[in-house]
Amino acid sequence: MTEPLLSIQDLRTYFHTSAGVARSVDGVSFDVGAGEMLGIVGESGCGKSVTALSILRLIQPPGRIEPGSHIIFEGKDLATVSEEDIRGVRGNRISMIFQEPMSALNPVFNVGDQVAEVARIHEGLSKKAAFARAVETLALTGIPAPAERAKEYPHQLSGGMRQRVLIAMALMMKPALIIADEPTTALDVTIQAQILDLLRDLQSRFNTSVLMITHDLGVIAETTSRVIVMYAGEVVEESPVEGLFAAAHHPYTEGLMHAMPQIGHERDRLNVIPGTVPAPTDWPHGCRFRDRCPYSWELCGRDHPPLYQIGVGHVSRCHLAIEPERRNHPHPPLVVQQGVAVA
Amino acid sequence: MSDNGALLSVKNLRKEFPIRKGLLSRQVGAVKAVNDVSFDIARGETLGVVGESGCGKTTAGRSILRLIEPTAGEILFEGKDVRALDTSGLRAVRRDMQIIFQDPVSSLNPRMTVGAIIREGLTIHKLAEGSAADARVSQLLDEVGLRPEHRTRYPHEFSGGQRQRIGIARALSVEPKFIVCDEPVSALDVSVQAQVINLLQDLQREHNLTYMFIAHDLSVVQHIADRVAVMYLGRIVELAPAEALYREPLMPYTQALLSAVPVANPAVKKQRIILQGDVPSPAKLPPGCVFHPRCHHPAKDVACTKIIPPLEAKAEGHFVACIKQPPTQVSWEQQQQAGGTKPPERYLPTAALR
Amino acid sequence: MKRTTVWSRPSTRVAVVTLAIFFLGALFAPVVAPYNPTAQPDIVALKDLPPSVAHPFGTDPYSRDVLSRVVYGARLSMGIGFLATLISVTLGVAYGAMSGLAGGFVDAVMMRVLDAFMAIPRLLLLIALLAAWHSLPITTLILFLGFTGWFSLSRIVRGQVLALKESEFVMAARAIGANRGRIVVTHLLPNLYSVIVVAATLGFAHVIVLEAGLSYLGIGVPQPLASWGNIIQDGAENVSGLWWLSLFPGLALLAAVIALNTLGERIRETFQSTR
Repeated sequence: MTEPLLSIQDLRTYFHTSAGVARSVDGVSFDVGAGEMLGIVGESGCGKSVTALSILRLIQPPGRIEPGSHIIFEGKDLATVSEEDIRGVRGNRISMIFQEPMSALNPVFNVGDQVAEVARIHEGLSKKAAFARAVETLALTGIPAPAERAKEYPHQLSGGMRQRVLIAMALMMKPALIIADEPTTALDVTIQAQILDLLRDLQSRFNTSVLMITHDLGVIAETTSRVIVMYAGEVVEESPVEGLFAAAHHPYTEGLMHAMPQIGHERDRLNVIPGTVPAPTDWPHGCRFRDRCPYSWELCGRDHPPLYQIGVGHVSRCHLAIEPERRNHPHPPLVVQQGVAVA
Repeated sequence: MSDNGALLSVKNLRKEFPIRKGLLSRQVGAVKAVNDVSFDIARGETLGVVGESGCGKTTAGRSILRLIEPTAGEILFEGKDVRALDTSGLRAVRRDMQIIFQDPVSSLNPRMTVGAIIREGLTIHKLAEGSAADARVSQLLDEVGLRPEHRTRYPHEFSGGQRQRIGIARALSVEPKFIVCDEPVSALDVSVQAQVINLLQDLQREHNLTYMFIAHDLSVVQHIADRVAVMYLGRIVELAPAEALYREPLMPYTQALLSAVPVANPAVKKQRIILQGDVPSPAKLPPGCVFHPRCHHPAKDVACTKIIPPLEAKAEGHFVACIKQPPTQVSWEQQQQAGGTKPPERYLPTAALR
Repeated sequence: MKRTTVWSRPSTRVAVVTLAIFFLGALFAPVVAPYNPTAQPDIVALKDLPPSVAHPFGTDPYSRDVLSRVVYGARLSMGIGFLATLISVTLGVAYGAMSGLAGGFVDAVMMRVLDAFMAIPRLLLLIALLAAWHSLPITTLILFLGFTGWFSLSRIVRGQVLALKESEFVMAARAIGANRGRIVVTHLLPNLYSVIVVAATLGFAHVIVLEAGLSYLGIGVPQPLASWGNIIQDGAENVSGLWWLSLFPGLALLAAVIALNTLGERIRETFQSTR
């Protein structure tokens, strides 16, 4: 295998709060290949967004990337490079697209200037040259009449247009990697379709790697080639996308897939994952999903499961890998047995 | 659509928001948020209402409860004209008609305990007092999957799913017959969303509730609704039994909406109808069919820009607002008079199907 | 879950203790003050004394004890500040809430009227008042400070009311059958507390400074009554020689203002964290 573009090794990002240490990202490792579209899926609080922010060192105190974490990108360890070096990477070699396009844009500057700003920072282009390049980049994202739109302010644009502006901003420096953190969550479904099409198209055209972070398995299935499932600050499953949807191994992934209503699948009741995600200050001992899992047994309370190899490129943090027959005998999860109210 | 057996009957509902400008806020225009909307909901039924932001679905729901005063139209609840009610009459009918909101944060008063929030309706409608009210609050908390001791806590101490349960308990406290569920699960994670949907379904069965379930997520609506109304720019553009709508979407907008939903199956490389451009501003509605600027129906022509399509039956119980999907009351002659050049033709692209 | 309270920050405690000392001192001034603040026991021998054991803050050119004057000054300065703030908060909340609740045309008119008020500088009004009185009677001073201090608060309150009125929990209350009165009392007001309390503490600090300024200019509290402003003024003509005369009331003023501002900030933070 060729050298990955980005290699994250044992990333731990902790928040040292008065209520204790929140281990939001707790030993996450994965690679992103050149030109690859990798998905990270998980629910609120699983650590997927903190992982994304950690890559660009955008973590604010009391948050901290713990020593021993490595973020290897183009031969440098972003976890330890100087503040100046990381600024040279941000928006240049790695850029980011956020969920809420309105709050990611400055309301008092026109969008053209904001897109142009990136080139002025990283290449020292003149105001005029940068603006011209911004208009070109806006055109790439399919904004009609980009020269006129560039002179407009964020509030004059629709949500979909704003997201295109953010994508243009991310593309300005032809980055090697784009991190898209829930890029379509705030958008309507028809606009989401437009934006996902655009991202796919740009990715294949420029061979940019994309790290797609989302809670939506549908978005994952339609855009990515490889998926990482996160739960409670950890990677719980990693697989090529076809393999994951054909045969999810981790009970959490399985639960997530069954909890989702799908058009064309008639079901009287949705399967639920009982209980809630534990607090990041207080991850359970052993398997962190154990209390909510229908297959758990005493090993799960004792040993923290490693990532077991399941198939080609498919790993799962579940002891079922060594006792697969237990999957045939589900039981009510602990949270239900103990009568703890579901949330 | 008849009044027979309908718990709620809405006719020609309109809601316009004035656009005000200037020193003393003079009205300079109007946003037609809900534009001539009619539908019935039968007792025990769930009517799903889907559409994208700004389509008027939330305004329609709130107008029915008169949380927003409708501009025109008729709202009959159990035969009572809701719009004609005075303040006390309205207060009485609100025991029967409740609402659950989308945002689990802003829909709960941050300065009230959970107990006080749920108790408010009991006090107002004199349903229970003192220890009886306490018992009822505990029972309601239990019913929505929370614990009685949660009553002394404040909303910010709960997760999104739990807050949504508090909102549900508040709505249930007055023993309503009808609940407007305004995007109750949109803000929740998938696994929590499933818990809340199941809860709503269980409660519906136990209390024989009637729901108007507003959502932008078509898969959630398919799961929970008996019939589905699709809204676009203030109008209902398609209304059909859920099964028929998903099997045979006839309005080109519905087709695009369905094709845009990502499929959680990487093996399916589906086609997609990508709509061009954005939804026009509801302050400047396109003339004729509101969808025509983005429509992909092959028979779209000048007539679509002139004639406002009636919501008409294309099959038993399946109503569509499109003059290009046969059969239509707007005859081909009428369409030609309006400048039409392409006769109606049935159009159901494979991209719209599952 | 651990909750941040106002008390969990040491700065809050310092602020509260400082304010408590001032309030108690002001309240029990006759007991706390070692001398009569206006007494001039020996205008020759006891004048302009630097701080000593007998006169910890020294004496002024009229042989009056500065400590006693500062203590009684606290009474006036803080009393004026408190009453004026009470008036302005009441007016501001009432006007702002009415405007916000009414909405529409009434709101627009009320806001234009407010704009007109805000356009008149306080100083101009003061000059007009001085045309009528040479030196303002204290009640007039309080009324003046109170009646000219509510504009910005009413703006804020109106904005909050407008936002709260549209909030989903108010809509939920209406949906459950709550009437207007109930909505105002149980849903709007409790959510305005933070704004009101913060505005009141900050406004209080502002009025104290303003009163000191007016008294310093000689148009506030008249001699021989003591307020922090006119004590500072007593020493102003000879700061290098009689430094104690301006320093101690100045420090008292500073401490009170910082304590009030700190408290206001802390309260704001606390309310925000429980959103």
